[in-house]
Amino acid sequence: MRKVSFIPVLLLLSLVFSACAAPVAAPTDEGPEKVTISFWYNPPSGGEGADCYEENIVIPFNEQSETIFVDAVAQPEAWNATRTAMAAGEGPDIVRTPGPSFVFELAQAGQLLPLDELVSSEGWDDLFVDWALSLGEVDGTVYSLADELETLVLYYNKTLFDEMGWSPPSTVAEMHELAAVIANNDIVPFAHANSEWRPANEWHVGEYLNHVAGPDRVYEALTGKIPWTHDDFVTSIELLNEAQQNGWFGGGLELYYTSTFDEVRGLLGSGAAAMNIEGTWTAADLDTLYFTEENGGNEWAWVPVPSQTGAPIYDIGMGNTSSINRNSEHPEAVAEFLSYSFSPESQALLLKNCGKAPAPVRLTEDAMEGVDPRIASIFIDLAAASDNGGYGYTTWTFWPPKSDVYIYEEIERVWSGDITTEEFLQGLDEIFQEELAAGAIPPIPDR
Amino acid sequence: MAVQQELLQPAPDLARSGTMSRKRFFRSKIVPWLFILPIFSLHFIVVIVPSAQALYYSLTDWSGIGAAEFVGLENFRQLLLEDTTYRSALTNNAKWLLFFVTVPFAMALIAAQILAPVSRGAMIFRTALFIPYVLPSVINSNIWKNLLSPRMGIGAQLAERGIPGLDIAFLGRPDTALITIAFVDNWHFWGFLMVLFLTAMQGISKDLYDAAKIDGANRINEFLNVTIPGILPTLVFMMMLVAIWSFLVFDYVWILTQGGPANSSEVLGSYLYKQAFNRFEAGYASAIGLTMSVFAGLIIGLFGLLRKRGWEI
Repeated sequence: MRKVSFIPVLLLLSLVFSACAAPVAAPTDEGPEKVTISFWYNPPSGGEGADCYEENIVIPFNEQSETIFVDAVAQPEAWNATRTAMAAGEGPDIVRTPGPSFVFELAQAGQLLPLDELVSSEGWDDLFVDWALSLGEVDGTVYSLADELETLVLYYNKTLFDEMGWSPPSTVAEMHELAAVIANNDIVPFAHANSEWRPANEWHVGEYLNHVAGPDRVYEALTGKIPWTHDDFVTSIELLNEAQQNGWFGGGLELYYTSTFDEVRGLLGSGAAAMNIEGTWTAADLDTLYFTEENGGNEWAWVPVPSQTGAPIYDIGMGNTSSINRNSEHPEAVAEFLSYSFSPESQALLLKNCGKAPAPVRLTEDAMEGVDPRIASIFIDLAAASDNGGYGYTTWTFWPPKSDVYIYEEIERVWSGDITTEEFLQGLDEIFQEELAAGAIPPIPDR
Repeated sequence: MAVQQELLQPAPDLARSGTMSRKRFFRSKIVPWLFILPIFSLHFIVVIVPSAQALYYSLTDWSGIGAAEFVGLENFRQLLLEDTTYRSALTNNAKWLLFFVTVPFAMALIAAQILAPVSRGAMIFRTALFIPYVLPSVINSNIWKNLLSPRMGIGAQLAERGIPGLDIAFLGRPDTALITIAFVDNWHFWGFLMVLFLTAMQGISKDLYDAAKIDGANRINEFLNVTIPGILPTLVFMMMLVAIWSFLVFDYVWILTQGGPANSSEVLGSYLYKQAFNRFEAGYASAIGLTMSVFAGLIIGLFGLLRKRGWEI
């Protein structure tokens, strides 16, 4: 009888169990004295974004640092991968989240390192503008640094406006009057769409709340002083609904749901659409992708998103935040890298070379040299507005997560006529009050 | 007494036979388990443990990060009695099930019946119809997203050439979004079913068809009385799988509409994802997942019952 060999079985077993073992740190070409800290990012699509960040920040840092090596790892669905890994006590040293409301959950779970001591030792209190550090606070302790200061503005096709003799609007009433005129000329008033990013709905909800009801009202609601069912918010949502029902967004509700950003921005570039209320994230692409010679050779310009009174309001938004993993073995090294990446020089480099909106740090005047003056002026005006209180609140930065999702999901039911504006706001208020009671509201800068 | 003495008698080969029986026991009882152990360990780690965790978390209020608070059956109470979106998602899954146990089966049966007698170029037809199945869902979805675009797709191109009627935003209308997604999913799926049915049909004895012909059967009679009974086990088994898959659908819905517009194409899978990853309601999402498993279990139970009653499944 043949003898059974158990070696293959044991090998197989060892393979299975080795697959379950903790990963071993990857060796680097750097000297042994360098400590390695990890950074996870979404793999770039179309050669933009994270690749540019790695080239302009991570690689130069690794070259100049004699003690630290930043291991930048392309991780599909980086945020979901990060939170899953952190729940298991792992994850990257540098923790990036999509916004302050996400930091809240991680901080509450004790997965982030408090940064209060580093704020003073690294000089971040001088580096960041006054209100910015408070965005990273949870229960009075700083856990994150705000990255990528965003705002929304009204971009318009200047060539088309000049040809038609239109002036960019400054009040909401003017904007709606102009939209009706534009639509009568068979031109799409607003190059809006959501087929690629359903949360794009919240850009518009946030703009109408802040610019019709006003940021003071929004502040009162965010701090629990008034409910979301207030008449001013009803007016805001009804005006937004009026714009949708008139087919001003993307050429009609059905087109709004099925068009891509490329399609509608292309319409803006060619003059088939006239205006677009969108974030600073798109400014760098306007000249290179949409206002091209092949697409008509038109010129774009921008104005603040019109408000009820005509006073300019810039809604503050944060694209990302950076924190330190509580389980990081080298928090000082992470802090050093964060100081490097948030320095005015690095932020200016990212703005120039990658079109990335800068973090809310005190940029020096010469940092804006070489930046498209139209884009530079957005950030200069935004900085001025943030100093004199002329700012509002973006939903993805200042609303807690459940309320935020409710806004961009359920607003479609208002547009489809399933629910009324009052029912929508009633539902928002119920969820918001629950989150308020649970202490889940991100820090709201005082007015 | 005699037996006792016999037993107490030291048998000459006792030690040898004891060793042999131990070896036999080891070989017949232990070795098979050792072979199963690696895959069982893997299954234990990636299926059983997470399933048990999901069961526990479905009874908690948990954000997906940090500690979970035990809330008993509160998630299920909310889900079944208060959550209107869950109900509409479940209804959409039921519609999905109805579509997928009829349309692709009818298409696949007809195509298999037509292709079964084809010998010349059969491989080309079969491959052409099977190819969409091997394409990733993200590719299929994006192809159809472009084809169905009301600005650039087929409908728009036809409208430009004077043939209006199809330049409709099929994915942008609450009344057409779900059926359009089902159409796209079916486009990739039915070829797979057809190949399975074709293979099953090849196992039917030619004598049965000859006998039917002698009895005066036409092609429809042959199909109904020979082909269908001949492939019935495959047919019913696939129906069971498709019914289970109908409660797990996620990818096509997520890529094409993310459940919109106005939740009109929301299914349990997309609703679960949103609860877990957008709203940080991982406990609630676990409860949704558990109900999905229950529905799948009910389907399996139903087919098991039919089998007990003599169905050839």
